[in-house]
Amino acid sequence: MDTLFAVLHMCIFPGGVFALTLGFFFKALDRRVEARLQRRVGPPLSQPWLDMAKLLTKETLIPKTACRPAFLLAPIFGFTGMAVCAAFIPVPGVFDGLFNMGDLLVLFYLLPIPAMAIMLGGSASSSPFGAVGFSREMLMMLAYETPLLMILLAVAMLVGKGLHGGDWGAEFSLLKIVSWQQHTGSLGFNPVMIPAFLAYLIFLPGTMGVLPFDIPEAETEIIEGPLLEYGGPLLALFQVTSALKTFVVLGLGVALFFPGTISEWWPVNLLWFMLKCLGLMLLSLTLVKSATGRFRIDQAFRFYVTVPTGLALCSLILVWVI
Amino acid sequence: MSLDKMLKKLSVRSPWLFRINAGSCNGCDVELATTACIPRYDVERFGCRYCGSPRHADIVLITGPLTTKVRDRVLRVWDEIPDPKVTVAVGICPISGGVFREGYSIEGPISRYIPVDVNVPGCPPRPQAILEAVVLARSIWMKKLGVEA
Repeated sequence: MDTLFAVLHMCIFPGGVFALTLGFFFKALDRRVEARLQRRVGPPLSQPWLDMAKLLTKETLIPKTACRPAFLLAPIFGFTGMAVCAAFIPVPGVFDGLFNMGDLLVLFYLLPIPAMAIMLGGSASSSPFGAVGFSREMLMMLAYETPLLMILLAVAMLVGKGLHGGDWGAEFSLLKIVSWQQHTGSLGFNPVMIPAFLAYLIFLPGTMGVLPFDIPEAETEIIEGPLLEYGGPLLALFQVTSALKTFVVLGLGVALFFPGTISEWWPVNLLWFMLKCLGLMLLSLTLVKSATGRFRIDQAFRFYVTVPTGLALCSLILVWVI
Repeated sequence: MSLDKMLKKLSVRSPWLFRINAGSCNGCDVELATTACIPRYDVERFGCRYCGSPRHADIVLITGPLTTKVRDRVLRVWDEIPDPKVTVAVGICPISGGVFREGYSIEGPISRYIPVDVNVPGCPPRPQAILEAVVLARSIWMKKLGVEA
């Protein structure tokens, strides 16, 4: 029975259908708001679905020199990772998350899977652009995973101190992190955690691979790098993965920093959750994307290992000392 | 209506554009770039997106008179684009050679090598003309898919 429930949660709510719909809606809104900020009209809100329909009707070309199994499996690998990941995200007041023990650690291990899928696909495509994209993706991953780990540790240690007192240790259960914040106030308003929240805001564009950090898939330099050889349904799968990842990282941000609820009734809480995700996205992805150019890979790497890592380290030390 | 037909009908609302520069003077390329970017002629409202990879393209915009040096490369890139695709020749150069016509290094017009679906004459063409070409290309794409609007 538990297994059945787990599968349902992965397929319908909050993973699968729900996460995909929300992710696509966010992606469309992101493009639309960006267009409005640049005083354009922008595409309709159904655009990601239309893109999907288009990609499903296109033919799939596989390069002769590509490593066929890896090339075909990479998008499926990434999609599966994110589909499982989406079920871990607690929707405050509606859903508690699929597993309630140490799921923060599991999330940390699952989050890099789409990036790894892109790396796998890029290197299997046998294209030199794919190889360049592979190395850039790897560097970016090393750069943005460090601050993420520190942010998660800071949150876990603060909540662990609050829950167990003294030096008892960190709390890696998302459910407990959320419920503790609902009782004592959101961490996003806690002065100790503000640097960590800022670091999370900077982490978002890096992990989503959007401007100014879309270096691995820079279409004007390395013609979309690892995704260069993908087309048709396989590319559609990469887009689905990206939409799911949008949901996952935004939902994780809300769970870590602003998990408050405003009502006893779950539809209101669901809407409130979506609004918070939306706010997070507009702040950290859309606004930044519509106003910046692209970093070079060395600049981006240096930026990530200094600014967000430093901010997250600040929070970590403050949590430890106080 | 079958699912396949429905997908095809929806798919023309998401044309991804790909630019090939076949030895162009860059005038038409600048025109293409601004057509997408500047507010007044926003091409994204048709669901268009410039893509970097020929594998993702639906509508190919070719500029330039097709010089001897780039001929084979242009043909190779064009071959990499998955079917169904629509080819648009932007500017007078790919149509007739323009000012470079009968030059020693000019292999054009481009329709000698590639079936061109839409011609957009002009040096460079006006943005409105390019937008109209994209819309026209969309209806040709629909015909190629075998669905009517």
